[in-house]
Amino acid sequence: YANEGAVQSTPTHLLVITIHSHAVPPPTRGGAVAVIAIMLKSKTFVKKTRSGGVMKIVREHYLRDDIWCGSEACTECKQESTVLQTDACMESSLCSYPHYLIPDTNVVLHQIDVLEDAVIRNVIILQTVLQEVRHRSAPVYKRLKDIIHEKEKHFYTFTNEHHRETFIEREPGESANDRNDRAIRVAAKWYSQHLKTSESDTDGLKVVLLTNDQGNKQKAEESGLLYLFTCILVEEYIKSLTANPELVDRLALSNDDKNEITSSKVLFPEHLPLSRIQAGIKSGSFVQGTFRASRDNYLEATVFIQGEGEDGTEILIQGLQNLNRAVHQDVVAVQLLPRNQWVAPSSVVLQDEGAAKDDNVEEEEEEKAVNITTGKVVGIIKRNWRPFCGMLNVSQIKESTRHLFTPADRRIPRIRIETRQASTLAGQRIMVSIDGWPKDSRYPNGHFVRSLGGAGEKDTEQEVLLLEHDVPHQAFSQAVLNFLPKMPWAITPEDMVRREDLRHLTVCSVDPPGCTDIDDALHCRELENGNLEVGVHIADVSHFIRPGNALDKEAANRGTTVYLCGKRIDMVPELLSSNLCSLRSNVERLAFSCIWEMNHEAEILKTRFTKSVINSKASLTYAEAQMRIDDTNKNDDITKSLRGLNKLAKILKRQRIEKGALTLSSLEVRFHMDSETHDPIDLQTKELMETNSMVEEFMLLANISVAQKIYDEFQECALLRKHPAPPPSNYDILLKAAKSKDVAIYTDTAKALADSLDVAKVDGFPYFNTLLRILATRCMMQAVYFCSGMDNDFHHYGLASPIYTHFTSPIRRYADIIVHRLLAVAIGADSTYPDLMDKHKQSALCNNLNYRHKMAQYAQRASVAFHTQLFFKSRGILNEEGFVLFVRKNAIIVLIPKFGLEGTVFFDSKDKVAPSIVFDEEGPTLTIQQHTFRIFDKVKVTISLDASNIQHQKIRMALTDPVIPGVSVPVPDAEPQAKKPKLDR
Amino acid sequence: MATVQVSEAEKVYILHGIRDDLRVDGRGCEDYRHMEIETDVVSNTDGSAKVTLGHTAVLVGIKADIGKPRPLVPNEGYLEFFVDCSANATPEFEGRGGEELGTELSNTLYKVFNNKHSVDLKSLCICPGEHCWVLYVDVLLLQCDGNLYDAISIAIKAALFNTKIPRVRISTDEEGGKEIELSDDPYDCMRLNVENVPCIVTLCKVGHRHVVDATLQEKACSVASLIISVTHKGTVTCTRKVGGGSLDSESIFEMTEAGKRVGKALHAPLMNVLQQEEHLGKKKQKVGFLG
Repeated sequence: YANEGAVQSTPTHLLVITIHSHAVPPPTRGGAVAVIAIMLKSKTFVKKTRSGGVMKIVREHYLRDDIWCGSEACTECKQESTVLQTDACMESSLCSYPHYLIPDTNVVLHQIDVLEDAVIRNVIILQTVLQEVRHRSAPVYKRLKDIIHEKEKHFYTFTNEHHRETFIEREPGESANDRNDRAIRVAAKWYSQHLKTSESDTDGLKVVLLTNDQGNKQKAEESGLLYLFTCILVEEYIKSLTANPELVDRLALSNDDKNEITSSKVLFPEHLPLSRIQAGIKSGSFVQGTFRASRDNYLEATVFIQGEGEDGTEILIQGLQNLNRAVHQDVVAVQLLPRNQWVAPSSVVLQDEGAAKDDNVEEEEEEKAVNITTGKVVGIIKRNWRPFCGMLNVSQIKESTRHLFTPADRRIPRIRIETRQASTLAGQRIMVSIDGWPKDSRYPNGHFVRSLGGAGEKDTEQEVLLLEHDVPHQAFSQAVLNFLPKMPWAITPEDMVRREDLRHLTVCSVDPPGCTDIDDALHCRELENGNLEVGVHIADVSHFIRPGNALDKEAANRGTTVYLCGKRIDMVPELLSSNLCSLRSNVERLAFSCIWEMNHEAEILKTRFTKSVINSKASLTYAEAQMRIDDTNKNDDITKSLRGLNKLAKILKRQRIEKGALTLSSLEVRFHMDSETHDPIDLQTKELMETNSMVEEFMLLANISVAQKIYDEFQECALLRKHPAPPPSNYDILLKAAKSKDVAIYTDTAKALADSLDVAKVDGFPYFNTLLRILATRCMMQAVYFCSGMDNDFHHYGLASPIYTHFTSPIRRYADIIVHRLLAVAIGADSTYPDLMDKHKQSALCNNLNYRHKMAQYAQRASVAFHTQLFFKSRGILNEEGFVLFVRKNAIIVLIPKFGLEGTVFFDSKDKVAPSIVFDEEGPTLTIQQHTFRIFDKVKVTISLDASNIQHQKIRMALTDPVIPGVSVPVPDAEPQAKKPKLDR
Repeated sequence: MATVQVSEAEKVYILHGIRDDLRVDGRGCEDYRHMEIETDVVSNTDGSAKVTLGHTAVLVGIKADIGKPRPLVPNEGYLEFFVDCSANATPEFEGRGGEELGTELSNTLYKVFNNKHSVDLKSLCICPGEHCWVLYVDVLLLQCDGNLYDAISIAIKAALFNTKIPRVRISTDEEGGKEIELSDDPYDCMRLNVENVPCIVTLCKVGHRHVVDATLQEKACSVASLIISVTHKGTVTCTRKVGGGSLDSESIFEMTEAGKRVGKALHAPLMNVLQQEEHLGKKKQKVGFLG
């Protein structure tokens, strides 16, 4: 009996975690004390801890008898409001009586699209189902919650797990799933008995248990429950809804259906189970990464492996077998192929034209190309399927119900769906979800979700581009709207406690015409000591959006307001964006002010920040402000203030440029919209006025001052914006282009670049400088938000500022709200909260903001492109002058300054024999027959809309001058039509 | 240790009574006081038992955790003991007052229970040399009214009987990496064989005789006591003398014999009671700490 050495005094292990279940519904309300019988149970389960230990977790679980059934027909339950209607009629050939539906977990998980349909009402969602759904799929859970919140849907959540009569304990030998199925059956039984006993006129109201599991149905039958309630397979039920046959299309395919569709031929290797994948990743034989399908070649993709920090590596995947059913954005496990099987990415554009070319891509001549790391997908770690927008390719066979769907995004494979409304859906933009991709099917199987409208229609296309760019654009939910201030809103004395009263100042705002979300206003006045006081007043959005509430979370998720042509998708509800936060004239508004004392040389003598109340005296447009400044007869306070600002702004701008800030150029287009149809009737590039740059200067100054302040105060968690210097190789194209015109450009520093751009001029070519600046813009990196504690390079290259942030547009950018909160804490005007000081949380937020900004930009560009197409559709063929911006292997890219439009002129096409083309990379020049194209060459082109592919309409350009036989086209004599043809809407 | 003040006259009274096999509370010399056992009293342990013996109350909780086997015995699990003498039991334990007793008690418990003859330590092995179950036995003294050893040992045996260790599987991937997998069924668990788990019988030498289950008063009259751990077959697995006085070899022999007898008689009804309670299953009325 050897004693095992010294006895340590071990800590007591008696106490383990006890977590109180918070799911208990609130006790009955309403004055009188209700006697509630509460019973305590406990739920026990064991869990593996991260360190490899085993923990037993016990949760207290309270049962009660005051959970009501939610039915209007019930007289027994003492509920105050009911959700489920008495006349719950649905025209089903299987259930002729009024009934409530109880879906089981799998029905909710797989058929959420059906449940979302307006036809499906009066549904009881059991807590068991809700919890399981939450555990299994967060997106479905969110959608389910949204349905439950919708009043017209009459979805009722029954907390059966806490109801004394419907709670069941897991029995020995019962799996968790079986237990949950039993709980659902018990709850269904309770409901049917409950509805029967309530003596009111229930009209034979019954409950129908929806399942897609034969076994569950069988068990319900076996236990003799069927005399109480009906249990129907969900497919059968939906098919029985005689009044709404279109719902059948929205049914997701279950496993049985998949087999019948496909042939017996196994096309793909089996995916490995998750446990094998994890083991493989651990041992290094597999790598995990994000699958990125190629836009141009459906047989090729790359897998992006996240490395340390920002950088990552890419692995090439080639061939249908190796792609192995991975879909764009999936997280996959990849096995590297042996080195001798490595290939080079092909430069051929391959679009999936159907089943004809099933096999691997033909071997191309790859003498020069360098082989890179190549691998194959062995398993899927996480699918990232979302509903995809696209169009239906109606099957050739007339009676067929199976059709292929082509997504708008070329990186997504076609999806096979089953629908009986093919003829109606043809020509419409529709959304389709993927249900699965069996290994013997060439295409994934999916189901129809909803129709977005006719292809080519403005509303439909706008919806498509919002969906495809992942821009959250639904109306704000009630939960979010609940956090808005109650109207009528007025400034209270409490609001004034920490605010400075600046209502007496002559503040005015200058914005583009039609702007309703005014987030900045300015003032300038002379002080008694002769110095100038300049104030930038920014809407105090953080006063209205408090951290952590639903409104704040929604805004953080949206990240930015998205401006499309003729439409704005707000980041915050309209009440805030266009009213309470908008610094409109002649109303009192809360502001966050940054006030400088400057001398007349625009040197800052003092800076201070304060929360304030202002009363803007005028909301001007850039043009109005410019007119006031220029009009020597005007001498009112506003005009004087504007002149002071303008004077200082010019000095500031000069100083900034001396420091090496870049003035780059990109053409922005502005559409003149028809006021009724909202169709573009004219298109012109935006003009910049002095006042534009006046406002900009002070915004930059405010941003820099705030950035410095919050960084001084919070070294670890200031939210800043940086713009990294581009790597030298980025400038290659700019240098080559400049060299072709014998102009020297220096790119060593921002200052050198700015200076050399300034002096770059070619005689008789006034547009040269602008073109050069457009090219320079393309060389730049993307500016990004970051958290100061996670990075040490703060420099803003474009602005030549050592530190920068965004402070001046909190109505339309979430980053500014965070900066406002930081600044408010720094000056003691507001309290802090934990997430604000957590650099990891903030870093995650920055990632989202950067993503949203990028997507917003893309969406914006797509919107402009679409409107340009609309414009040219109405104009027919145009003949315009343009400049060669880039020279490519087989094409030139032409910029039309008049429209700010860029287009590609191809010199090889499918049906024509390619003329002799010589491409010189060094120039770069492209010689076709006798003519050589260089960057900056002036050309003439015809512009027309190519609508041959309705999903991807594009602007087609064809060369008219210089005339090259066989390449250029004759000048169309049809000048812009006098009267535009009516657009078919 | 909790003591009571006993006057000379009282001492004589107790001594004389014991000499005539009649103790103050009416028991014979080899009789235990009234004993109550309840298992599964602490839901967040893997096994627990509460034992009251007279006014002595002991709570034992057992937590099973995965640990590394001791290098000398790679294919066995082991037990860890911790005795908490809370000031609840007696004010003397306040502060660090109970520490010494706690250490003494846990040292004895190691000797008695942590060996392969008492508990089937091999069944606690998950993967030789790498993973084994470690049973953390936490003893909480709720009230002291003498005879702590016996009460604790009975409570430990009951708690070990009650212990449900989640069943685990070792899965091996092709690279030879081992992963512990846990069953998701809370009813899927392993029980310990407690047949050979001994009970401690403390014999107190009072005058020329010895008594079992001495009260605090009797303890105050005794010079020394012998603790004997006995299995259900009557095998003595450990003896230890506690207390300041000395014992002659003859009385040690006598006491050992008595201990064996008493111990053997103790095991049968104990197992009986435990099995009965187990059969009640969910219908069991919980008494807990309010009973």
